[in-house]
Amino acid sequence: MSLEMVWLVLMGLVLGAYFVLGGYDYGTQILYPLVGRDERGRRVVRAALGPFFFGNEVWLIAFTGVLFGAFPMLEGTLISGLYPLFLLLLLGLVVGKAAVQLRGLVRNARAWDGLIVAGGLIAATSWGLVIGALLNGVPYGTDGVVTLDWSDVVNPFVVMAGVSNVILLCAHGAVFLTLRVSGDIVERAGKLARPLLLAAIASVAVTAALSGGTAVTQPTAALLVVAVLVVALTAAVFLAARDRSGWAFVATSLSALLPVPLVGLGLYPYFLVSAEGGMTIAQGAADQATLVTLLPFGLALVPVIVAYQAWSWWLFRGRVSPATPTYF
Amino acid sequence: MDVVDLARLQFAGTTSIHWLFVILTLGLVPLVAVTHTAAVLSRDQARKAVLLKATRFWGQLYVVNYALGIVTGLVMEFQFGLGWSGLGKFAGNVIGAPIALETLVAFFAESTFLGMWIFGWGRLRPAVHATLIWLVALTAYASAYFILVANGFMQHPVGYGARDGTAYLTDLAAVMTNPSALLALTHITAAALMTGAMFVAGVSAYRFLKGDREFFQGWLRWGTVAAAVLSIAVYEVGALQYPLLGTTQPAKLAALESNGVVAQAHDIMLYIGYSINTITVLAAILVFFKRMVRWIAWSAIVTVPLPFVASLGGWLFREIGRQPWIVYGELTVDQAVSHVSAATMWTSLVAFLAVLVALAVANWWLIARFVRRGPDGVHIGREEQLS
Repeated sequence: MSLEMVWLVLMGLVLGAYFVLGGYDYGTQILYPLVGRDERGRRVVRAALGPFFFGNEVWLIAFTGVLFGAFPMLEGTLISGLYPLFLLLLLGLVVGKAAVQLRGLVRNARAWDGLIVAGGLIAATSWGLVIGALLNGVPYGTDGVVTLDWSDVVNPFVVMAGVSNVILLCAHGAVFLTLRVSGDIVERAGKLARPLLLAAIASVAVTAALSGGTAVTQPTAALLVVAVLVVALTAAVFLAARDRSGWAFVATSLSALLPVPLVGLGLYPYFLVSAEGGMTIAQGAADQATLVTLLPFGLALVPVIVAYQAWSWWLFRGRVSPATPTYF
Repeated sequence: MDVVDLARLQFAGTTSIHWLFVILTLGLVPLVAVTHTAAVLSRDQARKAVLLKATRFWGQLYVVNYALGIVTGLVMEFQFGLGWSGLGKFAGNVIGAPIALETLVAFFAESTFLGMWIFGWGRLRPAVHATLIWLVALTAYASAYFILVANGFMQHPVGYGARDGTAYLTDLAAVMTNPSALLALTHITAAALMTGAMFVAGVSAYRFLKGDREFFQGWLRWGTVAAAVLSIAVYEVGALQYPLLGTTQPAKLAALESNGVVAQAHDIMLYIGYSINTITVLAAILVFFKRMVRWIAWSAIVTVPLPFVASLGGWLFREIGRQPWIVYGELTVDQAVSHVSAATMWTSLVAFLAVLVALAVANWWLIARFVRRGPDGVHIGREEQLS
């Protein structure tokens, strides 16, 4: 395996971990007023996010760090090329994060609840649109610059990708809550999980059906990933129905992660593709000297990170209740 | 304004607001770590209780600042990609390395361990719990180091070779030991610790004047003396950077002779620095002789914002002073700016600044609220105290 591929897999793992962990945060945020009906319930849902709230988002920061370190030629083109989508994402993240943390202290709770939902919704939507736009093909000019047009985002395939990601993460969040909270809130989350999972399967199927004119270079591989996604969601439906919440969460985690390999495999050997040309993985990567220098750090640090995050999950495992502490 | 001006303003605005959080985080976390360790090691139960109370109080103020500051950090992580796509294309082979290491080595551990520290009261063995906050402190400074390595390369590029419009990494050790990075790190470390000490002095002074004397008079004394000593260190270390500028960035030194914005930013830093020196040294002497305590308390409260303003002046001097270069002598800001329309840049500029200013206001409002409530109104570790 070439150096670029090692780094591509490492970067994919980091981004995938973010989609799983940040993903349940966003799903939980969107479902927050539906699951936590009253003040006590909402407090429990916020507490459910609890000790992992910082650690989840760091995976996104690590992704941008690895992107800049290992694929600096891609970094600027991708982020500045999809400027409006990343702007939307960041605003959603900032508003949502701040609202979750400040909500317990403020007077006009209604408005802040709205910000919690909006933050999750915007973040989930913008990631769906980013995935959709990349698969659909971005206008990659001969000067190596991507200039996104309205029609590159507002088209059936990309919009459906956005919708699918929102529903998928909602289902993921609902299953997470059945594992994490207690009492009547578990019941409400459980009731929401089934229709959400079915809706996610339907929207993924519709998105796949619309993929005719996309820039996907490896349709077989892409369809295979989509098939695994549908199987995982279907498995989650059955597992959730039998109260196997742990395994259901494993299944939805896999579903939340799969958009990453979908882009990676579906566009191989490109990162960015359009009719005029594109940027391959090798073109996006840093110089060999940099990749070699960074490699031991990447290979050694990612397992260490997983180990201490796993310690944190183990330490704070179990269900939260109205008595669970908050820090604000 | 054209796209370059807007992109510069956006970067300057988001970085400055981010820095206001960072300097306090860096200033407070060693204090929390030392206090927590002293509490854990203490055998005298009464003293242990007082130290734990102090750990939770200063820890609460620190956590508020960190929790909202991390959100501004998210925005920063995307700024190069959003506004300066040409920087990654030219210098990504070199500065991508410290930025990747910052996220993997430092930021990750800092956030995860802080989450565990916040929720670890009563759950973790005291020694493990105190170790966690030391890891948080260590990684916070490691973050500052890696970011300054990237910034140092942009100020004074070393350890690279340029071919066909791209820089290639030739000597990682040279990049990592760039004097432009190391001197700046020493300077801002002293400045952050001084800011933390003045914050502690100011908060303690407020509580002291409110009548909370027994608990806070020691902290007022400690904060004032530490701020005085550190303010001298900030000045001495800062002055070491002028000879370096003489060889690496003579244009920046020359700009000080004019009346431009570079000179103004520099003078704001310098004269506020002198004022802080004078006030804290006088206050420390008076504190030593236990004279005019009310006067010291009032001046400690009033001076809390000064180091923040001074450090922003320092940053503006460092960053505006190297214009028009984004990588000194190699790449200009005009060449590096992203191909984005002015309308898009305006939208993001207004949106980012509005949100980040709101976060900064919320931060200080929250900190003020926890200060008004005092050590008994702290949320962190509350349950442990009850049990």
